Amino acid sequence: MKFSDLIGLVINNLSRRKARVGLTAIGVVIGTGAVVILVSLAIGLQMNANEQLYGIGDLSQIYVMPAYGGEMYMAGPGMGGGGGGSGGSNQDIKLLTNAALEELRAIPGVTVVIPRDYMYANAFISYKKMQGYSGIYGVGTNDLVDFGYETQQGTTALSRSTVVIGYMVAQNFMDPYLRPGQELPPPPDLYDQQIQITLVKYDDQGNEIRKNYSLRVAGVLAESGSEADFSMYLPLDLVKSMNEWSNGTRINYNKTGYNEVIVRVENADRTLEVRDQIIAMGYQANTMLDFVQGINNFYSILQVVLGGVGAIALLVAAIGIANTMAMSILERTREIGLMKAVGATNRDVLSLFLGEAAGIGFIGGLGGVLTGWLLGQMLNVVAVVYLAQQAASQGGIPPSVAVYTPLWLPVFVLAFSTLIGMLSGLYPALRAANMIPVMALKYE
Amino acid sequence: MTSLIQVSGLKRHYEMGGTLVRALDGVDIEIAAHTFTVVMGPSGSGKSSLLYLLGGLDRPTSGEITVNGERLDQMDENALALFRRKTMGFIFQSFNLVASMSALENVAFPMQFAGIPPSQRNERSKSLLEQVGLSDRSHHKPSELSGGQQQRVAVARALINDPMLIFADEPTGNLDTQSGVTVMQMLSDLHKSGRTVLVVTHDPRMTRFATHKIFLLDGKVVSEADYQAATLDPLIGNIGG
Repeated sequence: MKFSDLIGLVINNLSRRKARVGLTAIGVVIGTGAVVILVSLAIGLQMNANEQLYGIGDLSQIYVMPAYGGEMYMAGPGMGGGGGGSGGSNQDIKLLTNAALEELRAIPGVTVVIPRDYMYANAFISYKKMQGYSGIYGVGTNDLVDFGYETQQGTTALSRSTVVIGYMVAQNFMDPYLRPGQELPPPPDLYDQQIQITLVKYDDQGNEIRKNYSLRVAGVLAESGSEADFSMYLPLDLVKSMNEWSNGTRINYNKTGYNEVIVRVENADRTLEVRDQIIAMGYQANTMLDFVQGINNFYSILQVVLGGVGAIALLVAAIGIANTMAMSILERTREIGLMKAVGATNRDVLSLFLGEAAGIGFIGGLGGVLTGWLLGQMLNVVAVVYLAQQAASQGGIPPSVAVYTPLWLPVFVLAFSTLIGMLSGLYPALRAANMIPVMALKYE
Repeated sequence: MTSLIQVSGLKRHYEMGGTLVRALDGVDIEIAAHTFTVVMGPSGSGKSSLLYLLGGLDRPTSGEITVNGERLDQMDENALALFRRKTMGFIFQSFNLVASMSALENVAFPMQFAGIPPSQRNERSKSLLEQVGLSDRSHHKPSELSGGQQQRVAVARALINDPMLIFADEPTGNLDTQSGVTVMQMLSDLHKSGRTVLVVTHDPRMTRFATHKIFLLDGKVVSEADYQAATLDPLIGNIGG
């Protein structure tokens, strides 16, 4: 039998039992609809999470640190700490010296290698009466451009007496003398203003010693959604001298190595490969890609779990299809006998009944896809408004989508429901195909 | 005249309710090509069983069935289906039309399994419906046709693949007298057109058209005289059905 004839017969046979086919297909509609909406929800959640993660770190960046076995050199002699860490002596640690930077630059695919230090001295930041909180990093004077940062005000270039601040830093300046009930002042416009960084340490007698730095805000970075939004960038030499003052010892990066080096890769696709090479060289290396991939893995599992919940409904529907087909074959036993008498092979009969079962799966799948998609759109409208309100009240990026149905999902679900229909009809169809013609013709 | 059908030692036994039923119990017959053979016998004599075995719709318990030089008892299901499609046409007592299909679609139905294109199917079906005098009823469903008209559709369907052999199982059993005569006349015309016709019936009128007669009693072929004697014996009871 030709495929076109088979399809014609299937359509004809299904359309003559509309009510029964419709009722059976409703079961499939519920199952496939559940799969579509639940998986779409999981995908929507994943997209939301990725949107929130957007810019959490440039995915082409790798943060390289010496493999200290968990302890940093700042916990060394100057701080009265206990040596080079639990991982072994300093001689065993591969330090991030200038020679090491050259080694990192030689890795294929690496475009930028930037040493970075952070200010770990006790310090407070102030502007007029206000005090601020921010991470303070030391970088080369022109390195911020290499990081890919852009400014919304001023420049990214640093000089000995300037600072570049992140987009959110001004929001973290508050008046410590504000009384309860007093209205919060608006965040200050720090651009081109002098801010003070005051370092504090104590001598052997416990007397407080302060050192003050006055720095002009030369630039405010544009919003990136990354740690840079909450950071202040000072010239590396300045941060080094701040740390030296705080430690009371000289820091020679060629001997102690840098605390951290940021490696940028030409393409995020190569990030993990380069990260692995750096680890193989004996350093610690982390990338936000690990985190993002972890999140994505979680949501992939969520998709499978939620899809599985919908699949249970589909399984129930499959039993319905099997039942409908078994009934249909009983009712049409004489017709099966006739088909065989006029020359239908067992394979023709099998194909016809499998086709009908698959047809029910397909019709139900189509209904389920449409229902699931429509429900998803409705849910989207409600959920996006609700989540946007949440984001507005609690801070964060408002979601653009809550339930998302990618094109592959309806195609997959439709194919799957058709396959499920076919599998459900397999046993009844085999029974039909193997009927003895004379028994079928005489069936009452 | 050459034998189109040869049957030897044919047995068809089956169990029903724990009892062994000998539907056919050693039948030897030969049916020549281009003949009109009527198989007569009372109810339970095995005449329908014989027709289904000759049509390859059932398997014998033992014995040989040769149709047009092919051993049906040695064919697998697939080969039997293809053989039926090419060689045989069937007419049943209860018409066996597909209720959801029009008369035209019912006639064309066997051709779908043969992979004939729709245009060709339609053309041939229309021509056959015209032959049986139903061209004006081609788009009617079986429920919209009388018994006689339905059986004429079934005759047209039996002819769709142009078979050499026509098997009819009680073709007039469900028809009124006039419709029965019409169908009998059609079967006779098929014979005259060169086909071999084998009709299983208890309708004695059919014997008027027959060139050959086979009489069955209790699964065995008997002579006409024995058959007449047995069926006239009041202890045998009602014949037919």
